[in-house]
Amino acid sequence: MSDAVVVKFDNVTKLYKLYKSDKARFKGLFSKKVPYKENRAVNGLSFEVHRGESVALFGRNGAGKSTILKMVTGVAFPTEGEIFVDGKVSALLELGAGFDAESTGRENIRFKCSLMGMSESEIAEVEDDIIAFADIGDYIDQPLRSYSSGMKARLGFAISVNAQPDILIVDEALSVGDRNFQQKCKKKVGEIMSDEDVTLLFVTHSLQTAKDFCKRGIVLERGKKLFDGDIDEAIEFYNSSH
Amino acid sequence: METIKTIIKEHITYRDQIFMLAKSDLIKTYRGAALGWAWAVVKPMVTLFVFWFAFTIGLRAGKPIAGYPYFLWLVAGMLPWFYMQELITGGAGCIRKYSHLVTKMRFPISIIPTYFNISHLFTHLILLGITIVLFMLFGHLPDIYYLQIPLYMLMMVAFFTVWSLLSGLLSAISKDFQNLVAAFSTAIFWMSGILYDVDKIRHGWVRLILKFNPVTVISSGYRKTFIYKQWFFEDKVELCCYMTTLIVFTLFALWAYRKLRKEIPDVL
Repeated sequence: MSDAVVVKFDNVTKLYKLYKSDKARFKGLFSKKVPYKENRAVNGLSFEVHRGESVALFGRNGAGKSTILKMVTGVAFPTEGEIFVDGKVSALLELGAGFDAESTGRENIRFKCSLMGMSESEIAEVEDDIIAFADIGDYIDQPLRSYSSGMKARLGFAISVNAQPDILIVDEALSVGDRNFQQKCKKKVGEIMSDEDVTLLFVTHSLQTAKDFCKRGIVLERGKKLFDGDIDEAIEFYNSSH
Repeated sequence: METIKTIIKEHITYRDQIFMLAKSDLIKTYRGAALGWAWAVVKPMVTLFVFWFAFTIGLRAGKPIAGYPYFLWLVAGMLPWFYMQELITGGAGCIRKYSHLVTKMRFPISIIPTYFNISHLFTHLILLGITIVLFMLFGHLPDIYYLQIPLYMLMMVAFFTVWSLLSGLLSAISKDFQNLVAAFSTAIFWMSGILYDVDKIRHGWVRLILKFNPVTVISSGYRKTFIYKQWFFEDKVELCCYMTTLIVFTLFALWAYRKLRKEIPDVL
């Protein structure tokens, strides 16, 4: 672990505007008078993550965990506050999502890697690793619509972990697939984490898995940070809070 | 101003991906069908045949125009329409169509309209090639006026990229808007000078209003090239009208992008 900060949240708030209907939302574009409800998914949150750290986020449904990960990934934007992220982010937000159903597995690999900002040569380098890791045999040259959900998840995981990320984001992803594949994933994440420069942000409901990977835990409730510290204490705090 | 800078920066960062995405969009459209690429040609051919049949055989209109058979006159004006038709409705749906790029990974929305247009431009180039060959078969060889084709093409792509950004953003917020556009698509076809010559309309003010419609300007631009043999700068009013519309739509698109860029991922 080094001193360099790779993820920084500075008083971040994320509001979701809930309109009654799409029509109301459309009207809201042109007039401020259209009523809507606010959902404060993340509320004035601040924290820093240093390079090489592994942090688990705990919290019940609706605590804002996924929103935080989305903002780190750059998929969602904060309503207020500043977010700083340094390095290539690889996110396992929803495995198998974001694929193109008409393209083959191989094309999707190239496609996703390229969108993550990898060059042709870099992609060629990791392509075989990804295919080997996904282990879906001849299906790699079939269009994705013929894949089972398990196969999609495996391919998604294979891409994310083999794309040589600086920051790896895992959201409940390790709970997919059969036991064998789960073991393989855990091993792979462990391998990645052995590189001291890779940072891990982890969301799971399995406290044991969190303990295996992370040294630090953050407990959230309704978008606010309740606890931030050592993983064992965080788990204890989380358990005692409900 | 800030928004323009953001968009330009996004395009520079993602320049390689734009072409990759355009290619994959193109491949996707035509793969899986037995005839594949032929569909790019078949659809326009059928449309052309129907109009030619209706006007020449049915209505017995369709006299030769400026020494060219009516059919060729029809082809010259319809050629850009096939592109514009796809982009009017397709452009409005482009951000929704590629929502997985927006909601599942870090990806700037402004790129989507750009590669969507580039992808359709390829189909247009194929049709353009066929059109030129067709004119040659009728004994009309390419001449100096053909040099202005790239200009009209640029005008077309520029306007419809802006249109795709604006309408794509609005459609992403509200499906109603997308349906609205679809409903007006046919109206735009008949209200633009594609099946008739705008300059022949008797009322001057109607003529002028129609020239604010880029579909008219571009379609007549292709006819000037292929049929009338006029240069683009001969009708300065028309050019000014086009520019005005382009600028107005660009301002709207920038406004929409500034306002919605960060909201779209939450909505889709």
